[in-house]
Formats: sequence, structure tokens, C-alpha cells
Amino acid sequence: MVGFVAGLLDATVRAATVLMLAGLGEVISERAGVLNLGVEGMMLVGALSGFITTVVTGSYWLGFGVGILLGMALALIHAFLCISLKSNQVISGVMLTLLGTGITTFLGQQWVSESIEGFPQIAVPVLVDLPVLGDALFRSTATDYLAIALVPVVWYFLFRTNLGLETISVGEDPEMADTMGVDVFKMRYLAVIVGGGFAGAAGAHLSLAFSQLWVPGMTAGRGWIAVALVIFAQWRPERILVGAYLFGLLDALQLRSQSLELTLGAGAPLASLLNPVLEFVFHPTIMATYPYLATIAVLAYAVIRTRSDQLAVPSALLEAYVRSAVVPVMDYGNPHETVHRVLRSQ
Amino acid sequence: MNVELDIGAREDVPTWLVYGTPVFTVLAALAVSSVALVALDVSPVAAYSVMFVETLTSEFGLTETTVKAIPLVLTGLAVYLPLRAGLWNIGAEGQLILGGLAGTWIGLNVSAPGYALLVAMFLGAGVAGAFWAAVPAWLRAKYDINEIITTLLLTFVALNLKNYLIRGPMQGGAGTFPQTEQFSGAATIPSLFGNVHAGLLVALLMVAVAYVLVTQTRLGFEVTFVGSNPEAATQAGISRYKVYILVFVIGGLFAGFAGIGEIAGVQGRFRADFEPGYGFTAIVIALLGRNGALKVLLAGFFFALLIVGGSSMEVALGVPAALTEVIQALVILFLITAEFFKRYSVSLRVDRDPGTSPATRTGSDA
Repeated sequence: MVGFVAGLLDATVRAATVLMLAGLGEVISERAGVLNLGVEGMMLVGALSGFITTVVTGSYWLGFGVGILLGMALALIHAFLCISLKSNQVISGVMLTLLGTGITTFLGQQWVSESIEGFPQIAVPVLVDLPVLGDALFRSTATDYLAIALVPVVWYFLFRTNLGLETISVGEDPEMADTMGVDVFKMRYLAVIVGGGFAGAAGAHLSLAFSQLWVPGMTAGRGWIAVALVIFAQWRPERILVGAYLFGLLDALQLRSQSLELTLGAGAPLASLLNPVLEFVFHPTIMATYPYLATIAVLAYAVIRTRSDQLAVPSALLEAYVRSAVVPVMDYGNPHETVHRVLRSQ
Repeated sequence: MNVELDIGAREDVPTWLVYGTPVFTVLAALAVSSVALVALDVSPVAAYSVMFVETLTSEFGLTETTVKAIPLVLTGLAVYLPLRAGLWNIGAEGQLILGGLAGTWIGLNVSAPGYALLVAMFLGAGVAGAFWAAVPAWLRAKYDINEIITTLLLTFVALNLKNYLIRGPMQGGAGTFPQTEQFSGAATIPSLFGNVHAGLLVALLMVAVAYVLVTQTRLGFEVTFVGSNPEAATQAGISRYKVYILVFVIGGLFAGFAGIGEIAGVQGRFRADFEPGYGFTAIVIALLGRNGALKVLLAGFFFALLIVGGSSMEVALGVPAALTEVIQALVILFLITAEFFKRYSVSLRVDRDPGTSPATRTGSDA
């Protein structure tokens, strides 16, 4: 049993990293008011470009960097379409996923059989010997550690720095932010591009550390789960950490639930009645639907239980900002203070 | 030198831009995709001639295109109708799968005389698709929960449900392949001509239904009203709740038809790997044809041509058929770019010598 739990935890931690990286990027982008449904495409582009770079140069860090850069490049298209051309964010995102999937399948065919030496596992001395948890948490690749380290970084950035608060302000009330002197267009561009970099990193982690190979469509819907995760986490980075492990656990359980005896013994009361239900509920394929259903449930719960304006969804999400002809620029002195004013005015 | 971009909202859109946009976007997408072809050392001329000329001039190509167009047109309508009301149905794929599953179950387990079985299969498929679409529609209409997210998430639920059912309770036939039993003759859609099955009639009929619904009925008027100005529509006494639910239910019905048409007309059985992606292409189709049901029909046939041409290109030249996905993406890309130029007029103003007045500048130029 201990072996099973340790293995399960290990798989959970591995599965969570991809979601964490992509989810954190999506939080930044959505906090600035831009939904990015192109995560899946950006991840695939990051995965393939990182993989090719690693095959050619032999350096997985360089591959990781290239993956991030190309994720950013794809996000730049999204930013241009949604922010400058004020296009529909959904359409632009779906388009980028199509583009990323299509182009990586098209160009990636010849790289399928290549093999690389990807990120090695690094064990943290002493801690790795902890029972059960040790192997899962402290024998991981550098990118796994990086993802966890980025959670507090993104949290600090969003809620404790000027730039972060300005990001949030353009996602909540762009007109007000503009009036206060925040460059709405610049902030949104930055947030979308940084978010794309995270998606590219998630993809590169997938091909360079997680599976250490390239297969077309290898993200297998993880980009969409990351989008769902952000809603699940109510747009808060620290909850991304929790949500990523939860969704990762479901992912890990899915692959291992066959080895678990989850049904009642034949003699137990109600066994004949409950066992088919239990079998259905714990069926791996049915369990694969839980992250999606949980996200819908969280969304519905949050909206139904509280008034919808209290939901953490950035108020200006999905809305392009059109600067009106006359925007009075007021001087409130300290810009840090003005951003706080914007936030308090909500 | 001082370059300035003047961007102003257009009062009205010039006619050439309205009719030229779809053509230009497709041509631009093909032109840019040729870069990807060159990257693989394939001549774009050869590739596109296989893709379009050979497909359109061979009987095989024409019938295949027609067969592919059936589900594409139907799912296109499933996205088009909610779009008229200002809603996005990103989940037509899931509604198609659910419809296919329900129709398949009826086809395998119900016996009815003559064409009654096929009618029952289509009805069951339509109802299942409509149900799958009704959930996000209700969440949107009642609680204002974003339908884009819910339709998308439910698609993944539908795909997993399909894997569960086809690999589990619904599995059948010889061997242990993840598929259902083969349909009997009575549950197979008869052929119209060649390989084209009678689902074509259903698709054409639904285009007509959607056309009449949108242009000739009170409901259609309400849908368009809600889509163009929800606030004003509410003020005018139109129930947004009713409109939102109805467009999604009818859209889901269309997608369900698409699912069973493809299964009972082409596949002959439900295989677990049935994930055609028509519901995602449908978004592009509805976007291209959003001005009317007949344009959805045209766009559906065009993308069918693209998909069929893409796979012949793969066979003939060894170029991955994924190119069609790239082309689809680029069509959207250029379409939404063109959308910007429809809404805003952009003019470039160049002041060669800032600081001097226009009068002196013309003087110095002369």
C-alpha cells in the first residue's frame, strides 16, 4: 500500500507541473482581461521547438528557453489580434490552438523517432529519504522545482508589486486604469506575452522533462485543463498550486485505479446495489471527466451562491479596450497609490 | 519624418469589402501556408493542384467532398444559430458525439419497420445533442455563466463518456476491438448516389429550416434582435431566456444529426477513436458564413473540399494532412484581421517634415 501511495504521489507531482506552469500563465493573462484559449497550441509549439533545439544543440536549457520564446511569439499574435485589433478573444484563442496543433503536427513528423537527453532528476539530499513524500517531492527535474517556485513569485508579482497591481487594474476596469495613467495596451500586451511564455515553458517541460520525447498532439488536452484550472482556482495563483495537485491526482489515479480494489466485498450489505455505482464512479475514463465537471461546478457554485460581481473573474475579461476620444489624465501623484484607488473603487 | 495612423470607425462598409473578404482571406491563407510547404521542399503549386483541381475534377473527390460536407454543414449550423443570438457554441463536437452515441444505441437495440428505425435514430441523436447543448444554455440563460467555457468543458466530458461507453457497455462485434457492433441494413442510411448517403438531404433540409427560421419567423427576428442588441431586445419585451435556450437546443439538434449521419451513413459502426473534429471546424464555418444559412452551406462545402484535398495531398505527395488545420487557422486569422478593417477605416498619414506648414511643404516639394 505504501508503495502504491508513493507511486501515486509521484505521478501526481509530475502531472501537476505542466498544469501549474500553464495555469499560472493563464492567470496572468486573464487577470489583465485577456482570455487565452490558445494555451494548448502554445504548449505544443513550446514542446516541439524545445525538443528540436535540444536534439540539435544537446542543451535542454536552451531548448527550454526556445520553447518559452516561441510560446511568447504565438502569444504576441493573440495580443495583437485581441488588444490592437479588438478581435474576439475566444476566436483568436481557438485559432491559435488550431494553428499550433496543425503546424507542430505538420513540421514535427520527422522528429518523432528522435531521442534526447532531457532534464535529469535532481534529488534534494536528506529530504528525499522522507517516507512516502520524499521521492515524489524531492526527486524531481529542475522544471518541477521551478514551477512550484513560480507560484509565490506570481502571487507576489500580482498582489505586491506596482506592475502586478496595474495588470489587475487593466483587467478589472481598463477605463479607470487609463484615467489613472496606466498604459492599458502596454500592460495587456505584457501580460498576454508573459502568459504565452508560461504556456511555452509548460510545453517544453512536457517534451524535455516529463516524457523526454516528441509526439504530435502530446499535450492531450492539458492546455484546456489549464484553462479550466484557472476558473477552478478563481484566478488566484496560490489556488493554482492546490488545483494543479488535485487535477494531477485525478490524472494519476486514472492510470492506476485498475490496481485498486474499490468495490465492496460480495458479502457486504448493499454490495450488489453499490458495486456497479462504485465501478462507474471510479472507472478511469469516467474519472477523466472530473476536472471538467469540477470546474463547471465551481463556476456554477460561485455564481449561484454569491452575486456574480463578487466572483473573482476579472470584470473586463473578454472585453477589448477602446480608448474613447477624450481620456482625461488626472495627476494623483504616487502611481502606486493610484492603482490602489482603482482597485478599491471596485 | 512623422508617420501617423488614423483609425476611425466606419459609418458603412464598402460593398467590395463585404463580398471580397471571404475570398481574400482564403487566398491569403493559402499563400501563407505555402511557406510551410516550401519548408518541406514541396512545390505549393503541385500541392494545391492536387488539393483543389484534382479533387474538384474527379468523381471520387466530388463525392468525398459531399460526404464530408454533410456533418460540417450541420455542425456549422449548430454554431451559426447561437451566434445569431450572440452566443458561442464551442462544443458542437461534444453534441455531435453524444448524438452519435444515442443514435447508435437506438440503431443497435431497437427494431422498427422500414425507415422508422432511421427516423428514430435521428430523433434520438437530435434529442441527445440538444440535451448536451441545453445544459450550458440553461446555465447561461439562468445564471449568466459563460457558455464558451461550459460548452468547451462539456466537449471533453462527452469525449470521455464516449470512450467509456464504446470500450465498455456498448462494445460489441467480433474480437475485442473498441467499437460497437456493425449496423444492420435497416439502421444504415441508404445511398443517394455513389457513396453519398441520404444524410445529404437532412443537411440540406436543415439549412432550409435554419434559413426560414432566421429570416421568416418571429423567433428568428427575436434571435437576431437579441444578438445585435441584448439590452434593447429586453426592453422590447423579448425573453432572452427563451432565445438563449432555443438557439442552443436547435443547434444541439443539428449537431446530433451530424453525429448519427456520419456514423450510420459512413462509418457503419461507432469506433472508439471517432473524434472527427467537425465541431471545431464548425466554428470557422459559422464565422465565415455567419451572415446566413446559405453561406454556412457554402463554407461547409469549402472546408469539406479542404479536408478531402488535404488527405489526397498526403497520399500523393507525402505532405502531412495537418496542413489543412494550418490553413483553417490562417483563414480565421485573416478573417478576424479583415473584420477590423471592416469596422475601422485606417489611413496612413506621413508628414515628411514635421514643424513646417503644409503650404511651405508643397512649395519645397515643387
